[in-house]
Amino acid sequence: MDDLLLVLVVAVALGFDYVNGFHDAANSIATVVSTRVLSPRAAVIWAAFFNFAAFLVFGDAVAATIANDVVVQDVLSIGMIFAGLVGAIIWNLITFVFGLPTSSSHALVGGMAGAAVAKAGFGVLIADGLRKIGVFIVLSPLIGLAMGLLLTLLIFWVFHRTRSTERLNQGFRIGQLFSAAAFSLGHGANDAQKTMGIILALLIASGHARAGDSTPLWVVLSAHTAIGLGTLSGGWRIVKTMGSKITRLQPVGGVAAETGAAVTLFATSAAGIPVSTTHTITGAIVGVGAARRLSAVRWGVAGRVVWAWILTIPGAFVISWLTFLIVDLFS
Amino acid sequence: MDRRAVFFFGAAIVCLVLVPLSNGYAWVSATVAGVYALLGVGSWLDARSHRRL
Repeated sequence: MDDLLLVLVVAVALGFDYVNGFHDAANSIATVVSTRVLSPRAAVIWAAFFNFAAFLVFGDAVAATIANDVVVQDVLSIGMIFAGLVGAIIWNLITFVFGLPTSSSHALVGGMAGAAVAKAGFGVLIADGLRKIGVFIVLSPLIGLAMGLLLTLLIFWVFHRTRSTERLNQGFRIGQLFSAAAFSLGHGANDAQKTMGIILALLIASGHARAGDSTPLWVVLSAHTAIGLGTLSGGWRIVKTMGSKITRLQPVGGVAAETGAAVTLFATSAAGIPVSTTHTITGAIVGVGAARRLSAVRWGVAGRVVWAWILTIPGAFVISWLTFLIVDLFS
Repeated sequence: MDRRAVFFFGAAIVCLVLVPLSNGYAWVSATVAGVYALLGVGSWLDARSHRRL
């Protein structure tokens, strides 16, 4: 019975990962599609491939943080993790309806914390781990913003002799292929690892793994496959691009934003810090707009990101808390 | 004062506030704060030079 439950909750975790890829596909392909470097079909295949390939480049440091540094190991149980996942999924659905650009990662952390507290009280939260995650909730978009802005300035400084902006953009259309690939790689690395962390926590809770174990290969492959498939199916439906929502992006800006966000995601993934890929690319796009002038940025979108910062962890926390109480009634 | 400079100085202050909370990553918060402070100064000087032209 326990094994059946385990398989069911692993499937829910992979479903969460698939939806993450589906939802975030636009971040990866927005600029290459809007500048017609690739067709939407080619762009989603390109992004999905690099989402999947991320497992070859990055380890499992983020997965280890999710599995070991959010709540103490003793409190982990299949029911608790299920409640955490359900809370995160419900929160994502609610915010999707209201158009808040929330982070699945923050929802997952809030959900895990809420379910754990419902089970055993606030003492089970690991303050150091949560503080690290909390600090980077704020830092990652700010780092993305600074990177996007500085890369834009650097590109214009290096190519200042090129008189025609049109010619410069023509050259950067090819560059976008690489920057989009880099961002998709970073997205796959950071986001798929969060699901890997949840599945690792499930394996620890059910006695199939011990604390400190590395992530089994089947978990790594299934998480990256799920996010890759999500991207493959999601890019089709999302027509409005991140680029045009925040500021009008030319190929030069697209390369700067995607490269800046990719570097941020590479560094945080290597350091084992779960961050929001959406917030990081949003910050980088704002940075590109701010390199021209602040009025080039549509601050409404950036403002909604701040609201998402504030609301996501408490929101997912409360929903998971309640979900655990219901799960506990039936167990 | 130039709005962009105000924004950058604000971001620098936010990062500075995070330094004591950042444990092993205090250097990241401090570096990002420094970058935003420099961007703030640069943006302010840029706006000032435009006003003089």
